[in-house]
Amino acid sequence: MDTTIDIILKFVAITVVFVVVLLVVAYTVLAERRILGFIQGRLGPNRVGPGGLLQPFADLLKFILKEDIVPDKSTRFVYFLAPVIATMSALMTMIVYPFGPDTRIPFTSITIPLVVTRFDVALLYVLGITSVGVYGIMLAGWSSNNKYSLMGGLRSSAQMISYELALGLSLIGVILLTGTLDLTQIVDRQSAWYGARWLILLQPLGFIIYMIAAIAETNRVPFDLPEAETELVAGFHTEYSAMKFALFFLAEYINMFTVAMLATTLFLGGWNFPFIESIFGRGTFLFGLVSAIIFLAKVCLILFLYIWLRGTLPRFRFDQLMNFGWKILLPLALLNIFLTATLIVLFPNL
Amino acid sequence: MLALLFILFAALAVGCALAMVAQRNPLYSAISLVGVFVSLACLYVMLAAPFIAAVQVIVYAGAIMVLVVFVIMLLNVEHEERRPPRLKFLVPMAVVLAAVLIGEVTFILVTVRDFAAPVSNVGLTHSIGSALFTQYLLPFEITSILLLMAMVGAMTLARRGGMLTANARVVPGTQQLPLSIVDPGAKPYDLRVVETDTTDEAARLLGVEGLRDQSKRD
Repeated sequence: MDTTIDIILKFVAITVVFVVVLLVVAYTVLAERRILGFIQGRLGPNRVGPGGLLQPFADLLKFILKEDIVPDKSTRFVYFLAPVIATMSALMTMIVYPFGPDTRIPFTSITIPLVVTRFDVALLYVLGITSVGVYGIMLAGWSSNNKYSLMGGLRSSAQMISYELALGLSLIGVILLTGTLDLTQIVDRQSAWYGARWLILLQPLGFIIYMIAAIAETNRVPFDLPEAETELVAGFHTEYSAMKFALFFLAEYINMFTVAMLATTLFLGGWNFPFIESIFGRGTFLFGLVSAIIFLAKVCLILFLYIWLRGTLPRFRFDQLMNFGWKILLPLALLNIFLTATLIVLFPNL
Repeated sequence: MLALLFILFAALAVGCALAMVAQRNPLYSAISLVGVFVSLACLYVMLAAPFIAAVQVIVYAGAIMVLVVFVIMLLNVEHEERRPPRLKFLVPMAVVLAAVLIGEVTFILVTVRDFAAPVSNVGLTHSIGSALFTQYLLPFEITSILLLMAMVGAMTLARRGGMLTANARVVPGTQQLPLSIVDPGAKPYDLRVVETDTTDEAARLLGVEGLRDQSKRD
């Protein structure tokens, strides 16, 4: 009977995580529009609900009600499959991130971890699922039977392969320092020094490389060449409309969110914050709640950085993008591995 | 529960493999192959080898097949034409090999009676790492040298021909070029000049006809 209860608990946990994440993602879209408005000296959407707070739901309703147009000459099956792959691969990584420490449910003696599941190779799982996500964009570009879409799909696959290398190599330093691929353990290692031993202090170069490569992986400005609207109309999703377009939109923002969560988990200490453990005491409900809020706050900080960059920087040219990825970012990532390994040999108790 | 999952993923793997062979469109074949890799990864997870599963997805589904799909899209290969088979002896060979495979599977199914999987941790990250760097250190290093050689070879092949810098242009009229530019095999300090009469000839010698056409347009 225990396994049945376990399965039910997992389903509940997955549902809670998905609802929280999708809500945050919906409000990221709103935040992006409002902040971009502020940067560009205008107001942004502020009419639906107080301060525009109901705008995400109005947008969703609009996406559902729009007419769904399928191009005549498109490859039907792949055309339908592409947004499904994009959204699914974006959502699948959600389950390994630790949102907080082990927490006791109030008025009971049951202690639950604030993570859906933890396993030996969580970090590799995240990288693997992310690398499958590129098929959504590639197949969308190919199946639409549109020149602009095809160009967008080609660009996106070239870009993602190039930057995935730098992204993966920038994480090696973290793995060397913590000696594990399990995200929960990586966060636990950062609880030392009263919760301030964040790996960004030991891996500043790795953090910068990761952030740049992550922006390129999620096709955001200044690396948004797959959908560069001035040259490719809308790139890979030119021919998509209504809810299928919304799925690509959703996948992009969920991907932003997951790379921000990974950055928080690996470099910014996860749910750790100086002195909160000594204030609230380990294992109490309040400690769990505050930790989860701190985790989400850090994620939102990185999301703000993304939006800020979008309002500030122009787009790369394609050859610049490739040169930067292969000739600067990749050697830097290798240098980071070399430096980290040398330091660990010289100071084994780092 | 486990048996049910096994049947699901095994059926998926076999189905995708059949689809890969049967499809006429190369892109569909590639997608089916990705399906095979992903279902194999799921089977590895069930065999308590999560590391191998993750690496399978990252390397095969995430990198190699993305490149394959990229090339198919770039060349825009549409439907493969049905041609008369050229290597006819391959058909009986395939039948024989299939018979051998089926024979092996039958032999295993008949002889092996103990189906309970032994509990092992060979698939975990720690055990793979320690095995690679102690017991199998020499094969591991040899493999990495092999990969390095392959990388150097790929770079050498890719560099051949395109010896011009990006902002070099073929100027109309009589060309005088150092031998080292025209002939990649020549020594770099060989400064003998090669004369060409026309721009087309110079461009052909340099192997940059495409580049020249482009420069004409701007």
